[in-house]
Amino acid sequence: MKELPQTVFVVDDDDAVRNSLRLLLKSAGLQAEVFASAPEFLAKYEAAQPGCLLLDVRMPGMSGLEMQHELNLRGATIPVIFITGHGDIPMAVEAMQHGAFDFLQKPFRDQELLDRVQRALVRDSENRARLRHTDRIRERLASLSPREREVLELVTQGKANKMVAGDLGVSQRTVEIHRAHVMQKMEAGSLAELVRMMMAIS
Amino acid sequence: MRGMSAPTPEVLALLEATFDAAVLIDERGRILAFNPSAELMFGYRAVDALGRNVSMLMTSTDRAGHDGYIRRYLDEGQARILGTGRDVRVRHRDGSEFSVFLSVGRLPRTDPPQFIGYLHDTSLRRKALATLEKERQLNRLYLDLAQVMLVATDRGGKVRLVNQRAIRVLGRPEEDLVGSNWVDSCVAPDDRPAARSAFRQLLMIGGDEPQGCEYHVRSSVGEDRFVTWRAVALRDADDVATGVMLSGEDITDQRRAESEAHRALERMNSVSRLATMGEMAAGISHELNQPLAAIANYAQACARLLRMPVPDTPEIGGALEQISVQALRAGEIIRRIRSLVRNEDVRREPRDINDLIREVHALLASDARVHDGRLGLDLAEPLPEVTVDGVQIQQVLMNLVHNAFEAQGNQHDGSPAEVRIATRITDTGDVEVSVNDRGPGLSGDLEQKIFEPFFTTKPSGTGLGLAISRSIIKAHSSRLGYRANEPQGACFFFVLPAHQENST
Repeated sequence: MKELPQTVFVVDDDDAVRNSLRLLLKSAGLQAEVFASAPEFLAKYEAAQPGCLLLDVRMPGMSGLEMQHELNLRGATIPVIFITGHGDIPMAVEAMQHGAFDFLQKPFRDQELLDRVQRALVRDSENRARLRHTDRIRERLASLSPREREVLELVTQGKANKMVAGDLGVSQRTVEIHRAHVMQKMEAGSLAELVRMMMAIS
Repeated sequence: MRGMSAPTPEVLALLEATFDAAVLIDERGRILAFNPSAELMFGYRAVDALGRNVSMLMTSTDRAGHDGYIRRYLDEGQARILGTGRDVRVRHRDGSEFSVFLSVGRLPRTDPPQFIGYLHDTSLRRKALATLEKERQLNRLYLDLAQVMLVATDRGGKVRLVNQRAIRVLGRPEEDLVGSNWVDSCVAPDDRPAARSAFRQLLMIGGDEPQGCEYHVRSSVGEDRFVTWRAVALRDADDVATGVMLSGEDITDQRRAESEAHRALERMNSVSRLATMGEMAAGISHELNQPLAAIANYAQACARLLRMPVPDTPEIGGALEQISVQALRAGEIIRRIRSLVRNEDVRREPRDINDLIREVHALLASDARVHDGRLGLDLAEPLPEVTVDGVQIQQVLMNLVHNAFEAQGNQHDGSPAEVRIATRITDTGDVEVSVNDRGPGLSGDLEQKIFEPFFTTKPSGTGLGLAISRSIIKAHSSRLGYRANEPQGACFFFVLPAHQENST
C-alpha cells in the first residue's frame, strides 16, 4: 500500500492567522490545507489521511475542544496541536488531558511551530505504522484454526508442550505439529516474538 | 253650593299657594275648596269635587267614621286630630288607595265651623325615601365593589364616607375612619404637607376636572402604602365646595415590582460592566493576539521564502502587504481599548466615594467568600464629594480587590485572606482611596512591571486589569500608586480631588 503524503491541516476562524500559517508551512516545504471552521474540517477529513492538525482552541460555533472530542469519538488518531491565545492555559491543559499532542501560544516563533509540526508528523507516521503492524497480526491470528488458537494461548502463557498436551487432552506430538503451524502462520521466528505480537494487539 | 258659605278670597288664595294638597270642608263634610295640589293628588278637578262629601276621598274604613268625628267635635268641642295630624289612607279617583299625612285645623271665625285638611303625600315621600335608600344601597355597593379606594370628606377634611377597599387598605374599621380628619389620621406623616396642599388647592380651584396627586397612606399597622389619587371637589348648587371625593389606587406592589425590576436591571448592568473588566481584557488580548500572530507568521514565512534559491517574489509581496494590514488591525483594537477605558459618554458627577464603596461591597463580598477571605471597610466619614464616573471607579475597586485576594491565594501561614478598602482625607483635603492586603506585596522588580499592559503574575491573568485601572484613574486626573502595606502586604491607592462647590 502506497503511503499518502502528509498534510498539515489548519483550522482557525481568523482569516489572517489561517492564511499566514499556510504560507509559513508552505515556506517550510510542508503541504498545508486550511479550514475556517471545525465543521468544515470534519466534513472533509478522512481518518486515512496522514498528517497533523493545527487547531485554534477558541472558535465561534464548535470550539477546538469540541472538535477534538468529535475526532476522539471517530477514533481519529491524527495528532492535534492546539493554538491558544494569552490566558487560554486552562483550555490547553484540558486539551492535553484529552490526548492533544501539544499546544502553542500565540504569537509564536516559526521554529517553535515547525518543530512541533515535525514531531507531530513523526508521531502520526509511527501511529500509522503501529496500526498497520497490529492490523497484520490480527489478520494472521484470524487465519489460525480453533485448535491452533488454543495452543497459541497456552504457549504464550509460558506452558511447555507437555503441559499443553495435558490441558488439551492430546498427544505431545500433536501439540508440536500445531505449534509449528502457529509459528509459521504468525510469521514468528521465536516464542519471544510471538509473545510481543500478542502484547501489541492486547 | 246651596246652603254653604263660600270661603273668603283670602282663604282661597292661601289654599292656592299651598304646596300640600288642601281641602276645605264645612261642618257636614262637604268640600268647599279643593286646591290644585289636591287635584293632582286625587285626580278630581276642583269643580267636580266642590260640594261633594269629603268621604269620597277616604277609604271605606275611614268613610263611615268621618261624619262621626266631626259631630263629636261639634258636640264635645274636642278633636283628636286637630292640631296634631296623623297618617291616613286615602282614595284616588281611580280607586287606588294611598297614604297621606293629614293635619286638620279649624278655620278661625267660622260658625258653623269650617275645617281645612292638609294632605301630605307620604306614600310619595316614602317611595322617594325607599328609592333613595335603594339608591344609597346601590351606591354603597358600587363603592364597595370598586377596586379603588374611595373617600369622601367634608370641606374641613373630615371623612364622611369610605368604601371597603379603603377600609381594607387602611386596616381600620369604618366607624374609626368616618369623622376623623383624613390627612391627620390616614396620610403618612411625611406626605401630610403635600396632601394638605393638594386638598386646599382642590377646594379653591373651580371646575369638575379631577386632580391627580400621589402620596402614602399609613395603615393601622404602620405600613405605608403608596397611592395615586384622583380627587374632585364636591360642590353645592351655588358651586360652593362642600367637600372632596378621592379615588385612590394602591400602587405599592406595582411600584415595588417596578423599582425592584429597575434595581435588578441596574444591578445587572453595573455587575456586567464590572464583571466584564476581566472578560473584556481576555477578549481584547485574544483579539490583539490574532493580528500579532498573523504578522509573526507572515514575517517568518517571508524570511524563509527569501532564503530560497529562487524567492517567490509575488508571494513575499502579498505577505508583506498582509503584515501592514494586520498591524493596522492591531492598532485599531488598541484604539478601541482606549476609547473603552476613556468611555467618552460617561457622566461624571459629585459622589460620596464611601457610597460607591458600599455599593460595590456586596459584589466584592462574594469574591471574598470564593477566596475564604474577609473584606473590611475602613471608611472615614464624612468625606468631601469627588467628581467621578461611579461605575469606572467601582471597576477599579473590583479589580484591585480581586487582585488583592488572588495575591493572598497561597498564604502559607494558613491565615485567612484579608482585604481592606480604606478612605481618608489627605493633608490637602482630597480623598484617598486604598485597597490593602496582607499578601507578599511587591518586590522592587515587580513594582516597576506591575502596571505594564499584559504583564501578569497570575497563570490565567490577562495582564490588563491594572493597566486599565491605571488608565481609568489617570482619566480622573489622578494616579494609581503602589506602596507597601504595614506590616506586610500591598497597598494600591489613588487620590481624588475634592469636588469644588461653585461659589454662588
